[in-house]
Amino acid sequence: MVAYYDEMKDRAGIKPAYADVAEWAKATTAEDLRLRQNEAEGLFRRNGITFAVYGEGGDPERLIPFDLMPRVFSSSEWDVIERGSIQRARALNAFLTDVYGKREFIKAGKIPARLVEGNPAYEPIMQGIQPVGDIFSHIIGVDLVRTGPDEFNVLEDNCRTPSGISYVLQNREVMQRIMPSMFRSGQVRPVDHYGDMLAAAMQSVAPDDCDGRPTLAILTPGHYNSAYFEHSFLADIMGIELVEGQDLFVENDMLFMRTIRGPERIHVLYRRIDDAFLDPEAFNPDSMLGVPGLMRAYAAGGVTIVNAPGAGVADDKATYVYVPEMIRFFLGEEPILPNVETWQCADESECKYVLDNLSELVVKEVHGSGGYGMLIGPKSTKAEIEKFEGLIKANPGNYIAQPTLALSTVPSLSEEGLAPRHVDLRPFVISGKGKTELIPGGLTRVALREGSLVVNSSQGGGVKDTWVLRGDRL
Amino acid sequence: MLSRTAQGLYWMSRYVERAENNARLLDAGRRIEGLPGAEAAGNTEWPSIIIAAGCRETFGEGLEEADREKATYHLAFDQENSSSILSCFHAARENARAMRGAITSEVWTAINSTWAEFRTKTMADVDERRYVDFIETVLASSFTFRGAINSTLLRDERQWFIELGKHIERADATARLLDVKYHVLLPKADEVGAGLDLLQWQQILRAANALRAFRHVYREQISAPRVVDLLVVNSQSPRSLRYSYEAICDNLDNIGVHTKAQRVVADIARENRDKLRTADAHSIIDYGLHEWLTDMIVATNELANTLGESYGFFSQVDRDATEEDAADASNIEVCAP
Repeated sequence: MVAYYDEMKDRAGIKPAYADVAEWAKATTAEDLRLRQNEAEGLFRRNGITFAVYGEGGDPERLIPFDLMPRVFSSSEWDVIERGSIQRARALNAFLTDVYGKREFIKAGKIPARLVEGNPAYEPIMQGIQPVGDIFSHIIGVDLVRTGPDEFNVLEDNCRTPSGISYVLQNREVMQRIMPSMFRSGQVRPVDHYGDMLAAAMQSVAPDDCDGRPTLAILTPGHYNSAYFEHSFLADIMGIELVEGQDLFVENDMLFMRTIRGPERIHVLYRRIDDAFLDPEAFNPDSMLGVPGLMRAYAAGGVTIVNAPGAGVADDKATYVYVPEMIRFFLGEEPILPNVETWQCADESECKYVLDNLSELVVKEVHGSGGYGMLIGPKSTKAEIEKFEGLIKANPGNYIAQPTLALSTVPSLSEEGLAPRHVDLRPFVISGKGKTELIPGGLTRVALREGSLVVNSSQGGGVKDTWVLRGDRL
Repeated sequence: MLSRTAQGLYWMSRYVERAENNARLLDAGRRIEGLPGAEAAGNTEWPSIIIAAGCRETFGEGLEEADREKATYHLAFDQENSSSILSCFHAARENARAMRGAITSEVWTAINSTWAEFRTKTMADVDERRYVDFIETVLASSFTFRGAINSTLLRDERQWFIELGKHIERADATARLLDVKYHVLLPKADEVGAGLDLLQWQQILRAANALRAFRHVYREQISAPRVVDLLVVNSQSPRSLRYSYEAICDNLDNIGVHTKAQRVVADIARENRDKLRTADAHSIIDYGLHEWLTDMIVATNELANTLGESYGFFSQVDRDATEEDAADASNIEVCAP
């Protein structure tokens, strides 16, 4: 039996950061906890914070389960996460600038060229394009796991269109309603300036020919998209338009939206649709979601796209292993947050190790996401392991493997009252011209099924409010 | 503001107003049904209620035999009828969801909760005992929605298009209500002030939420010209045609004219408003109440169509504001006593 790190208490007892929460939980009856939990879910439902799981049928507007026990970080714990995430985001943007520019990282032999050019997320059309401020990925979600008091590891980077920030802000909103006494001391650092921070970053990367206040907009695939709530939420908190492809057109290498007053120019477009659908002229010709000519306007500097097309080349699981080296190469620093040890099946000797130790490892598809297409060795049957053995042998380049991590736990409300459940964390790093920052908080995902290590919402995961304290206790 | 947003807000608002109007009509039907003598008069109220709701076509065959149950089903629950209360709340909510970024969370919460509450309702929720509860819940939902708009939305284009939708829908509904019941209002020398007419006028006023207003304004007995005055030319009654058109013109002025086509819209609205400013109840009745109202229904319909075109709305089917339907109202004789 592996010993999991309990974030609320260690050998010395309840940690100071959790003292008040633990006391509160103790003084609150199971019945009352459940009532508050129901109240929280009612609030989410009323606000329409739902998500869809594709291809599973059922209610198209499902609630993501919310757990009312917060996850708490002391300021010193947060300091590491903050500095480490910012460092990572700076390195990833430097890498992208280099990939689509001088290619020094490849030339120095730090990463094989084939891993870059052969990557499906690599966009040749971006070659030679220099985004304003050298920022490709303005919003990066850094997925972190914790295995001990000081052991934080980066599990994955999300450089395309990471989602989940709306839950961060709404979770806090709900917590302040159902647990107001915990906030009275003013020790929990607020997170609701996210919209201002993002808007400022977007304004800072407006095209050079923009004089005056840049017009910002969010491009959504529409209200049937599973993340539509988040798109509209972001538009709302930034006070900018939420546009669809049908609202937009390109003229003279500039992007315009159709308004009741006629065409209005958009300077910075935060797109929440995939690269392939952005512009039927440049990518998927069948796309109805994008804007014909958008890439032309982008290349001509008439509009800034947030995040830039082709940014996915930096967050791929095959690229992931090179991030620590990017940090050393571009920033001349040592990584603050280490990677998780990773074996690449593309490498023959590493592949052999993986095949010999399948029952101990987690195997993932290089381009997969959402917790699908993965094997968790210790939790799998013999048949499942054999199936993966076949898959890996057939296409080794498509797989990586990592040790099964002893993810930390935070007490969560279960059928039997409070019980430890595994968690991860996704802080959102925002990069503008000359400034990289993040709000004190992030998305804590929790595997609500007992013993489960998979936190994805599509696999029974839920969310928690994440508290960053001003000091070491509430 | 995006044209698509303007369109979504406008329709969201129209649909809520339509649900409210349907609820009022059902309430009027229920009241008239219970009037002494109603049965002897052939119980023609439910067919006329359906026509007043602009749902003659969607109701289909057997309009003459429509009773409370059939009318209630069609106007409240029938999902095949895009103007039923359920369909309206659903459409309003879908528009709101698509425009989530353009409305406040309070407005969204109001319409989203309404849909959550109504989506599961069936005929079982409108049995004898709970009929009025149902009506009141519809009205209360509409009020909550309007209240949220009023207290939380910026006074900008979004609010103006919402107001436009409400008043265009309301002008249409009030004109239809009067037109369907115009035969009751027509002076009949031998029957003036007779029991049933008086009671029916009262119900019309109730359906327009104007019975109390009537007493405040006129402090006299209900009469046809006074009913017409209150629901057509009175500038203070919130459901009169005049009031709706004043609001339509104010909101169009706020939105502003940016193109030639938009100028045409403003002109149509002003023309109708000016007609209402100068009209009086007696001259309307002399001209022919039905003809006058038909003109107004057609003009309102034209306004709605040109509005959509000139502000760049995508086409959206509005089943009940057609000229054909206005002609329907003129066939009222088939179901009049």
